[in-house]
Amino acid sequence: MIELSNVSKLFDQARAVDDISLTVATGELCVLVGTSGCGKSTTLRMINRLIAHSAGSIRIDGRDIEQIDPQQLRRGIGYAIQSTGLFPHWTVARNIAVVPRLLGWPAERVRQRVEELLQLLELAPAEFAGKYPRQLSGGQAQRVGVARALAGDPDILLMDEPFGALDPITRESLQNELLRIQQQVRKTIVFVTHDMDEALKLASRIVVMDKGRIVQQDSPQALLAKPANAFVENLLGGQERGLKQAGLLRVDSLMQALARPTSAVTGPRIKATDSLRQALSLMLWHRCSSLPVVDDQGRQVGVLQLDALMSRPQ
Amino acid sequence: MSQPALLRGGGWQPLLWLALLLAAALGLAELEGLFRLIEPDSRTVIYGRAAFIDLLGSHVLLVALAAGVSSLVGVGAAIMVTRRWGADFLPLVSQLASIGQTIPPVAVLALAVPALGFGSGPTLFALMLYGLLPILRNSLAGLRGIDPAVLEAARGMGMAPLQVLWQVELPLALTVILAGIRTSVTINIATAAIGSTIGARTLGDPVISGLVIGNTAFILQGAILIGLLAVAVDSLFEQLQRRAPGA
Repeated sequence: MIELSNVSKLFDQARAVDDISLTVATGELCVLVGTSGCGKSTTLRMINRLIAHSAGSIRIDGRDIEQIDPQQLRRGIGYAIQSTGLFPHWTVARNIAVVPRLLGWPAERVRQRVEELLQLLELAPAEFAGKYPRQLSGGQAQRVGVARALAGDPDILLMDEPFGALDPITRESLQNELLRIQQQVRKTIVFVTHDMDEALKLASRIVVMDKGRIVQQDSPQALLAKPANAFVENLLGGQERGLKQAGLLRVDSLMQALARPTSAVTGPRIKATDSLRQALSLMLWHRCSSLPVVDDQGRQVGVLQLDALMSRPQ
Repeated sequence: MSQPALLRGGGWQPLLWLALLLAAALGLAELEGLFRLIEPDSRTVIYGRAAFIDLLGSHVLLVALAAGVSSLVGVGAAIMVTRRWGADFLPLVSQLASIGQTIPPVAVLALAVPALGFGSGPTLFALMLYGLLPILRNSLAGLRGIDPAVLEAARGMGMAPLQVLWQVELPLALTVILAGIRTSVTINIATAAIGSTIGARTLGDPVISGLVIGNTAFILQGAILIGLLAVAVDSLFEQLQRRAPGA
């Protein structure tokens, strides 16, 4: 658990972070979102003491971080950044091994851990372990960056716009990957982004920041339903709010289920695990008001009616 | 595939030049007939006041000593001013490094004499001073040219400042630092020869002596050896740079 109480950061006389209080519970994926210069990155970097806070206190599992040696603290916190910061003179395996080696793990355990992480991030160990960062694509490098952050098996993971520089397709696949990994490893993650769609997709809680202050913190659904002010509403995309909300809900939450699955269907159809936003888009495209819903094997398991979307309670 | 690692990728080149250099230092004296063609009228055509191999030895010693000291001082100073606590000195040091570079080596040598007298001492001093500048300049460029994200990551992973320096900064700056040492040494091989004019014992001796008494053969013997030494050392550095981790 991470607790920030009345934390401020002054650069010269400017207040980059202004008296914020925030508690991130264990296992939570908390996303700090806001425009650039709102203090979200500064907040993140104060947690691992890359930046010293000017006022207030930060505690991790009840311990004030100023009582912990900064190097010890950082070895216990995973850290991934937008430009990856991979060490260009080291192989992928050596990059991932940084923290385990700093922690003094025996060589064999380090080797096993590196292999385990390469597999977790879906990078074939035989192919990637010996490569150098310059031989990787942007997406692969970011996977290695995430693997490196996870290597010491930290309880906490800090991620500073890790997918910000990637193309939309790669970004989405890495977002899915992060959600999958979080299902498996259940870390306490603080994730910084300026992309509200990314925040809505990943977060269990979104913290909206503006001018160094926290404007609103809520679950994605609650944030969409009740934005605190015009700034949050604007960040949520104004007129596209309806679509964003639909993007958070799964098709099977509104479909009429069939008594038992029928054989495979052809033509326009939607998967039960897809979002209502995707369903809506399909309906618009095919100009239809209902869609067969299929499972992973392609068997029909239900029907989604446009009416059901429209009559859904707010 | 069965080639030893040292010889792969042109690793044999410095060895070839070194062999040529040694052969010349030991064998030039045997080529009297050849040099007689150039200087048919002179009494002697082979420089005889000292053996070439001894001159080569003292030349190399002088340059190596200077390179060692100026590398230590230059890299050390660059490391110092790129730390947070030394950052105040950065503008001063980087300005010194670029201004110093504009003074020709001969001037440094000439200025060293009134201060230190004649002999190897002032030559060594001038070599160290002049050789320091390219090393300092390149070390600064190398250390400051590292992607800030890499340093941020290193700190964020929990590396101690010395670990960041040894494991990340120096390896990544190494090719650029080596290039600086290479420039320094190459310049100093030539400058050391001029040291003969102020009484240092170097491969410049036959050249100076040849100039004074008008013996082209002497000049040629010194020039051949200095040239071979410069080429051999340069190709050695080229190999070193190619093998640096950041390359």
